[in-house]
Amino acid sequence: MAPSLLFNPAKLPPSEALQLAQQAPVVLQGSSSPSETVDQWATYENLLLACLRTGDDEAAAKCMDQLEARFGPDNERVMALRGLLSEAQAENNGELEAVLKQYDAILEGNSTNLPITKRRIALLRSMGRVSDAATALVQLLDFSPTDAEAWSELSDLYFTQGMYSQAIYALEEALLLSPNAWNIHARLGEVQYMAATTSGSGGGSQQKYLAEALKRFARSIELCDDYLRGYYGLKLVTTRLLKEQAKQAKQTDDGEFTLPDPKTIERLDELATAKLSEIVRHSTLKDRGWRGYDEREVAAARELLSQNGIER
Amino acid sequence: MAQVPVQTIHRDPQLFYWILFPITIVMILTGVLRHYASVLMQSAPKKLDQKAIREQRSLLHGINLRGNFHALSKKSFATRRDALVTAFESGAYLKDPERAGQGQPNPLSDPSSMEGMMGMMKNQMAMIIPNTLIMSWINAFFSGYVIMKLPFPLTIKFKSMLQAGVMTKDMDPRWMSSISWYFLCIFGLQSVFNFLLGSDNAASQMAQQMGGMGAAPQMFGPGVDPDKQFKAEAENLAVIEHYSVLDDVEERLLEGITV
Amino acid sequence: MTWISNTITVFGGLLLAHACYSAQEHAALQSFRAAATSTLTSSTPVASSLPVDIAIETIAATLVIVLGLVLGTRPLRPIQWRVWAGKIEREGEEGFLGNNGEVEKDYMGNPFTYLESRPSFVDIRRQRKEFAEWIKNGGGGTGKK
Repeated sequence: MAPSLLFNPAKLPPSEALQLAQQAPVVLQGSSSPSETVDQWATYENLLLACLRTGDDEAAAKCMDQLEARFGPDNERVMALRGLLSEAQAENNGELEAVLKQYDAILEGNSTNLPITKRRIALLRSMGRVSDAATALVQLLDFSPTDAEAWSELSDLYFTQGMYSQAIYALEEALLLSPNAWNIHARLGEVQYMAATTSGSGGGSQQKYLAEALKRFARSIELCDDYLRGYYGLKLVTTRLLKEQAKQAKQTDDGEFTLPDPKTIERLDELATAKLSEIVRHSTLKDRGWRGYDEREVAAARELLSQNGIER
Repeated sequence: MAQVPVQTIHRDPQLFYWILFPITIVMILTGVLRHYASVLMQSAPKKLDQKAIREQRSLLHGINLRGNFHALSKKSFATRRDALVTAFESGAYLKDPERAGQGQPNPLSDPSSMEGMMGMMKNQMAMIIPNTLIMSWINAFFSGYVIMKLPFPLTIKFKSMLQAGVMTKDMDPRWMSSISWYFLCIFGLQSVFNFLLGSDNAASQMAQQMGGMGAAPQMFGPGVDPDKQFKAEAENLAVIEHYSVLDDVEERLLEGITV
Repeated sequence: MTWISNTITVFGGLLLAHACYSAQEHAALQSFRAAATSTLTSSTPVASSLPVDIAIETIAATLVIVLGLVLGTRPLRPIQWRVWAGKIEREGEEGFLGNNGEVEKDYMGNPFTYLESRPSFVDIRRQRKEFAEWIKNGGGGTGKK
């Protein structure tokens, strides 16, 4: 099934992005109709992104012109897209610097231009100036602390730097803004798990991380039936906990989560294994109603299961 | 069963073409016109400066924390609460901290709020002027006409609504006067406007306003003292009894999900 | 399956129309009779109600129409959050096909993916680079036009 142009193409694999970008001539042809629909401009924006990604600058410029003609060059979102276009076409560092200067100039005039602020941060990050990006992002979040997307970006930024506790803090803020987002619960669980792996074994902090990771994955499954990512994480955590059961330190109650007792962990492990194998079986057979999973995720789950089968 | 004698009034059928239709068409056209006029007059929402945004969103941040605290562990909640309560009470997020505690500013002296009031005035005017004009037009030309008979019986209570301007005591309430048709149009044309202009048009706003739906309480409107809001929010945050949705989540999971 | 529900609905509609027609005929007959009798014997209003078979037919027709419409509805959407979310994850777009075989208009996938893809912060240069490499490595068979 061809991906829809109504959704943002950032997450799509390259083949589907290419499919999207190849729709460009058709969409741009049909643009002469005078009546505008709600979806039309979302289509243009996503088409622009897909074209930029696949290197079809000509079509991207056409999309840009359409958007600019409709919303005017002063629209904040259009400004950000224009910036994106020049970022993509910049060939060397000097040109990127010029784009950055342009962003700075825009922000000089209007410091509340959120789309441009975000572009500037993304550009800084893309140019490798991560600490600058983090500073700018923190500034943005200081005056706009209700922006879940920015919190999530900050978390990712810290995560790539290995600053896990900061990443967890930022992700928790994103979760506060959308408390039912099952993927963010799972993401938080993953970050906690990573933090546990690097924080040195045996320490109390590691156990805290693992305990919360376990709970986060459990919550993500509670929010979403048959959530492959949640079960995968749950399986990872329980396997690890069962392995290290012997050296469990006594836990103090200081407001952190405590690990459930070993029996519960074992049952959770069984549950995760059973569910994972069910999901893997169904989606390998391509059963009706089980085709929504990402193939790479299913493959990873299969691998995890087979690993565990050998270890037992 | 006493049969009520059916009143018959012989009307000129031309009444239909020269009063009923014109009133309806004029009403629809004014509605459309008002819609486009208010679209033209609409000033872009005023840009807030960074400080004002910060003030509003920080308050929202606090409210959010109060609403969704259950997504956090106790420790992370406590950290956030302490930080926010301190900041709220000291007025760190205020637009101009030195003005804290001076009470609300006079909304008339503030130029930014004047602009908002002008916008409201404009909208009101766009409603009042055409309505007055049409009403006086109808009153001048068609007052006292009985123009149609409703196809269904009505009780006597409807007499005042349907026969405004016709001083006849014994007439069946099914008969309708021209000015009443006008009122019926005001209230009844909303769905027509929705159909013609889309659902969020300016023309049907009037019917909503006249329908008596109160405006939503303004949170950041002029005349609200942000300092007081922050203090109240800090208090709300301080009294929260924390629980987490992650407590016992694995038991719930094991109970709720069977393979 | 749709033809069954459609047939039932149409059948119900026919029944209802028939009932209406009967009632109308009955009323016409009554008024004619009343007019005829009133000329002969004054002031005896013939108070006769609708025959019971017409009433039954009307009710039956309504029930049949309702049955047809209910049978013809699409499967209901999940109203529990976890079931709905699970459906998105498990079935993807396929779980939200409309009657015409296309994905329903209001389907939007997981509404929280934007928190992980973060479209406002997209790193377009890296995406371009990755895409160019993907093309260079054979590009999944289709290749570039």
